[in-house]
Amino acid sequence: MTKSKINTIEAIMLVLTIYLTPSILSMPKDLISLTKSATLINIIYVSIIAILISIVIYKLLKNFASYDIVDISEYLGGKILKNIIGIIFIVYFLISSSILLRNFCECLKIVHYPMTSIVFILLTFIVAICTSAKLSFNTTSKVNLVVLPLLILTVLFIFFANIKNFSFENVFPILGDGIFNTFVTGLGNLASFTGISLLYFLPPHLKKPEDMKKITITTTIFFSIYLLFCVSIILFMFRFLMNVDEVMPLYYITRYIEFGTFFQRLESFFLFIWILVISSFLTVNLKFSMEIFKKLTNINNPNALIFSFGLCIFAISVFPPDYANSKYLELSISKYFVFGVSIILSITILILATLKKFKRKEISKLE
Amino acid sequence: MNSIIKKFFIIILIIIFLLAFYGSYSSSNISNLAVVVAMGFDVSEKNKLKISFQFTNTSSVSDTGSSEKSPSSLFTIEASSISNAINLMNTYIGKEINLSHCKLIVFSEELASRGISEEIYTLANNTQVRPSANIVVSKCTAKSYIENSKPTLENLITKYYEVFVNSSQFTGYTANATIGDFFYSMICNVCEPYAILGGISSENTESLSSINSQKDSNGKASESSLSTQSISENNGLAIFKKDKLVGELSSIETLSFLIIDNQVDGFLISVPDPEKNNSYLDIYLTPTVNTSVKTQIINGTPFIKLNCKFSGRIYSMEENSNYSDSNILTQISSSCNKYIESILTEYLYKTAKIFNTDINRFGKYVRKNFLTESDFDNFNWENNYKESFFDVKVDTSVKSSFLLTET
Repeated sequence: MTKSKINTIEAIMLVLTIYLTPSILSMPKDLISLTKSATLINIIYVSIIAILISIVIYKLLKNFASYDIVDISEYLGGKILKNIIGIIFIVYFLISSSILLRNFCECLKIVHYPMTSIVFILLTFIVAICTSAKLSFNTTSKVNLVVLPLLILTVLFIFFANIKNFSFENVFPILGDGIFNTFVTGLGNLASFTGISLLYFLPPHLKKPEDMKKITITTTIFFSIYLLFCVSIILFMFRFLMNVDEVMPLYYITRYIEFGTFFQRLESFFLFIWILVISSFLTVNLKFSMEIFKKLTNINNPNALIFSFGLCIFAISVFPPDYANSKYLELSISKYFVFGVSIILSITILILATLKKFKRKEISKLE
Repeated sequence: MNSIIKKFFIIILIIIFLLAFYGSYSSSNISNLAVVVAMGFDVSEKNKLKISFQFTNTSSVSDTGSSEKSPSSLFTIEASSISNAINLMNTYIGKEINLSHCKLIVFSEELASRGISEEIYTLANNTQVRPSANIVVSKCTAKSYIENSKPTLENLITKYYEVFVNSSQFTGYTANATIGDFFYSMICNVCEPYAILGGISSENTESLSSINSQKDSNGKASESSLSTQSISENNGLAIFKKDKLVGELSSIETLSFLIIDNQVDGFLISVPDPEKNNSYLDIYLTPTVNTSVKTQIINGTPFIKLNCKFSGRIYSMEENSNYSDSNILTQISSSCNKYIESILTEYLYKTAKIFNTDINRFGKYVRKNFLTESDFDNFNWENNYKESFFDVKVDTSVKSSFLLTET
């Protein structure tokens, strides 16, 4: 995997896959639940913080050329720290994939396959992603170049097709549940920036590592704008979704899109595109999990482990007994992992490793 | 050897998946489905739900094409809930009921007055029910409303259900009320739901003559002078407070609702002739801009200011009419302004003071006056709407008549 390098656009799309895919499920609605009518202000505020965090990550990663977070951990704390960090990230990628897969399959089951066991719907995805993960890293990133714009187009389509139904007054009261809730409690919405975790693993795969700055900032800004669109659709159209829990809010809204009596029932088309996007997301996560595992164990052919990792995703995804538990896991895991691992732990490691590097430089200068 | 095992494994996998997904495929196979086009809800004598399902024969639709009328059949069943009714009906007809093509949901006035939240929540929770299905409150039983819904100018009953609300855009006498909007309004804390008011046209026109002699636009469903066999008709609106029916709006009040809600493209209205006493002019008005709504809280009371703009053309024409004179047109315009201001004001005070139900969703504009959700919640808009007072300004510009300007 490390032999094939990707260009800047492919890298941007790769990170955006991780950023954008959870928006298909309940993520936009979860943001609104926390900050109510002040969600748009909160997203702008949270986005500024996310951009600052991205810049910090870029500045720190720049000191280690084409090393990823696992290599940097080894540099800082040796094999033990490398293994700990590696395992944490593998667990994160596998769990976030499993929960997202489970929630999406629950929706598919409700809408299209009421008589099919959820196990078989999950297995269909597992077989598909294991097969695609066998292909090269370049193939995965090139598929993303096709699939991701489709997701963006669907969201834009939903936005503009429903604009006649929008009530822009829904943005009031402007401060939602108050200043504290919008700007302090509302920091919890930073958990939607899941793509930050992938930034730590990108440098070794880039054809031009110097473009890392462009990648980090572009993806964060793009995601912020995308998030504004997603949240606007729900906020302007169905404010009541704050009080009612919908399995997939965007899917719910696609049911309202009609152009005369001819173009109706377009939701199946959206669902089809989202199936492709979910598969892409799972493949990317599976690829990076295997890449980390390869680094930890020094095995030559990680492809032999694809089905083992696929089965891990399957096993975790069948673990929650019902949708309520799965949803709870989705909310808590994204929050704890994004804050705990992607932001606090990873940035701490980068800072300490940078300090160690500068200290060594100074010592060598003195010597 | 390896490749043979691989191929064998793939074939086995495909067979397993085909078997696994077969259940879902066969359950949605058209030959196993009974397609419901309309549902009606009544209250039975035992205080249970009496649910009527109107089916269309899917095979006959495809066989006969559009030249012949598609047959439909109506079945009624008594049950304690919608789900149980569907279950029982599945047993009787030997097919699985599918609501994906259900275009019309009818509630009897009696049931609507008791509250229909349980039914609405259940329907909203159903993946098959489309949010665009129209919702009707019938002044007669829901069963007889559906029985008398006959597509006289259409071949397909489904087509008829799809187009029957279209007239709201150019008459304003009924509205396109859908179950999706109804559900939204029921949950939302700044709006209230409404439904189409339906009924059966009575053949006894004598009793209705007194209503119709005064003004054509004052009627409601079941009060029209339609002289034909019994047929379902939709005229006016049924308005709700949360899930309970609290009142009805006549045609002209429905038009007022649609004007404020920007849901009407154009409408015909009879305004007093400024030149002749007790005489009316028929004018076709078109809104030129969306109705602007401004709200203020004055001494804890909502003050709602509305501005409407129309341009119009005169339909009425008689001997010695002169609509090429700008002074006359100005007089007619001001007569229009006065008349529309009066009907809008009357309508607004009726919804506020009598019904206390904000079907025009003014609450969303009132929210602008508050900084936080808790401030707005404390204001208690749902109960404070009745304290509102209104100021309506109408600016009409009557341009001319149609082909003749002077006779």
